[in-house]
Amino acid sequence: MRQVPSGAALHARLIWRRNRGQIGLFVLLALLLALYAFLHPGLLSWAGIARFTQNWFPVALVAIAQTLVMLMGGIDLAIGAMVGLGTVLAATLVGESALGAGLGITATVAIGVAAGGLVGTIVALFGLPAIIVTLASSFLIGGAALLVMPRPGGSMPGWLSEGLVGVHPTALLILIVILVAWRVLRATPLGLSIDAAGDNPAGAFRSGVNVALARIAAYAISGGLAAFAGVYVAAQTGAGDPLIGNPLALQSITAAVLGGVGFLGGQGTIRGAVAGSLLLAVLVNVMFFLGLPPVAQYVMQGLIIVAAMGIKRLRERAA
Amino acid sequence: MRRSILGLAAAALVAGTQLIAPTMAEAAAKCIKGDRKPPFTVGWANIYSVPTWMKQTEGTITDVVEQLKKDGLVDNLVITDAEGNANNQITQIQSMIDTDVDAIVVIAGSSTALNRVIEQACEKGIAVANVDSLVDTDQLTVKINTNSNEWGKQAAQFIADKLGGQGKIIIMNGPAGISVSEDRRAGATPVLEANPGLEVLTETNTAYNSAPAQEAMTSLLFQYPEIDGILSLGGALSAGAILAMDRQGRELPPMTGENYRQFLELWKEKDLTAWATMQPNWLGGLGVYAAVQALNGKDIQPYVEVPLPIIDNGNIDEYLARAGEFPADGYIYSPYDLAMFDQLLGLK
Repeated sequence: MRQVPSGAALHARLIWRRNRGQIGLFVLLALLLALYAFLHPGLLSWAGIARFTQNWFPVALVAIAQTLVMLMGGIDLAIGAMVGLGTVLAATLVGESALGAGLGITATVAIGVAAGGLVGTIVALFGLPAIIVTLASSFLIGGAALLVMPRPGGSMPGWLSEGLVGVHPTALLILIVILVAWRVLRATPLGLSIDAAGDNPAGAFRSGVNVALARIAAYAISGGLAAFAGVYVAAQTGAGDPLIGNPLALQSITAAVLGGVGFLGGQGTIRGAVAGSLLLAVLVNVMFFLGLPPVAQYVMQGLIIVAAMGIKRLRERAA
Repeated sequence: MRRSILGLAAAALVAGTQLIAPTMAEAAAKCIKGDRKPPFTVGWANIYSVPTWMKQTEGTITDVVEQLKKDGLVDNLVITDAEGNANNQITQIQSMIDTDVDAIVVIAGSSTALNRVIEQACEKGIAVANVDSLVDTDQLTVKINTNSNEWGKQAAQFIADKLGGQGKIIIMNGPAGISVSEDRRAGATPVLEANPGLEVLTETNTAYNSAPAQEAMTSLLFQYPEIDGILSLGGALSAGAILAMDRQGRELPPMTGENYRQFLELWKEKDLTAWATMQPNWLGGLGVYAAVQALNGKDIQPYVEVPLPIIDNGNIDEYLARAGEFPADGYIYSPYDLAMFDQLLGLK
């Protein structure tokens, strides 16, 4: 009888396979962070870290949201619109009191979860391509945002803005909480089924995993995260703006792909996507402090993205 | 000591005397603390550098900076490009604050997103001049713009006058959800209400570019055999409309538009009855000038409204005569110089 590897060994192999492609990214990231700190020593202070993470945070959130969907072999083009809807809902619903704020944030995130769940249901049950469904839903969600608020406006309570984007690293803490929550979720049956359904849907189905439910859950969580990114952006800017999220759709995909997430599902990690988003955020700052003219910024960005992807590909070939 | 001098200066101002030494900052304009000395470093926080209008605007900024360099007032210009992403623009303005530039000129990617970071710059005594796309906050040195509401009102009035208050019109708007676009449309509303004989067939919302406007207009032409007027509210929309109508051999009705070079050339070529105004590109240059004058202790008003220059069948030739100086897909803006800026800022 053939020796069957133990569960722990299989798991270790899985982890290695997941992270193998990301070493290049982490090295590049470490170098860029070091360069940024060298160019701008002010980064290495509470205020510096707080400010930097605040600007990075929304991109990190949408990168996580995008990764959840991409792990399922899908893609979400509506994430940017969802962030926009999140900002206008937050700027409309969030009340001045602690209770009002809590209710408003909960309602905004709940609407994001519902919208994401609906999109996930259409993708999972009707078998339509995610790219088409989410493109259509990006128009619906974007339109809804413009209905709520035809132009930027509304307000957020000052204390909430101060709490989330004052000179303290709240954003970093929330990000760590989300990453820990993801780890915890992965230990639950739902989390395992999300993992399995993304990696090998047919195999997961045969093992008794409710693949459709896992997909819907992934889209729902993704929608909730995007709406929460909207709440954060509203707090950061003190108001809602229906269009502000639009560039984030492409950024979220870039960050996820930089982080090693594949387009075919199953491949990639949340932490990789977070690292990818961090790379994008650091790039903006490093290019500023290097004093590069705008045209060079575009070239440099392209080069770094190609380099990060190329390193990954080379390592994969070598392996 | 410094405080008591400032106190004295304030007292002198209250007394209405003019005895303050010209070298001492009066700290009259907002955000100015009087502790920054020339030559100044100016930051230009662009939202998006790719469109031609933005490139031309940047051209007036570098031009004014060169002129100010000769006077020893400016020594460095830092340019950033947020690539259309307000989140990037926040980051870049933050970085400008971190490197302690003396002045920031900004075209905002969102009327709300930059409020907090701009207020932070103001607190640090950085002169912030916000031009074209304005922010909501008033915690900055100066906002400079034309009146978008007036833009829409005058354009609608031209159409109402030319059609004698009777006719079917199409309204072409910029993108939905953008303040400029919404304000121009809002300005047109009272005129349309006052002229109930004007029937609005439909409205379009596209980017301020020729191609999408042409596309939108092409499909509308099949739907509406009779169009008596086109109320186009800016950018290259009118050029797109003309190209679409011309291709189908439709008669070109009275229309409004902006100083887009191709529109003005088509206007002349097709002998249109038309009207145009502009968002002058030199708002950027004026922003730099205003910020530097504020740092120099001049009293700059918190809001400077630049009058809308009007182009009509009477003066279009003056604009077309200078067309060669501008890019083919650019905007023929009215001429400017520093003396005119002084006048607009009320410094003379």
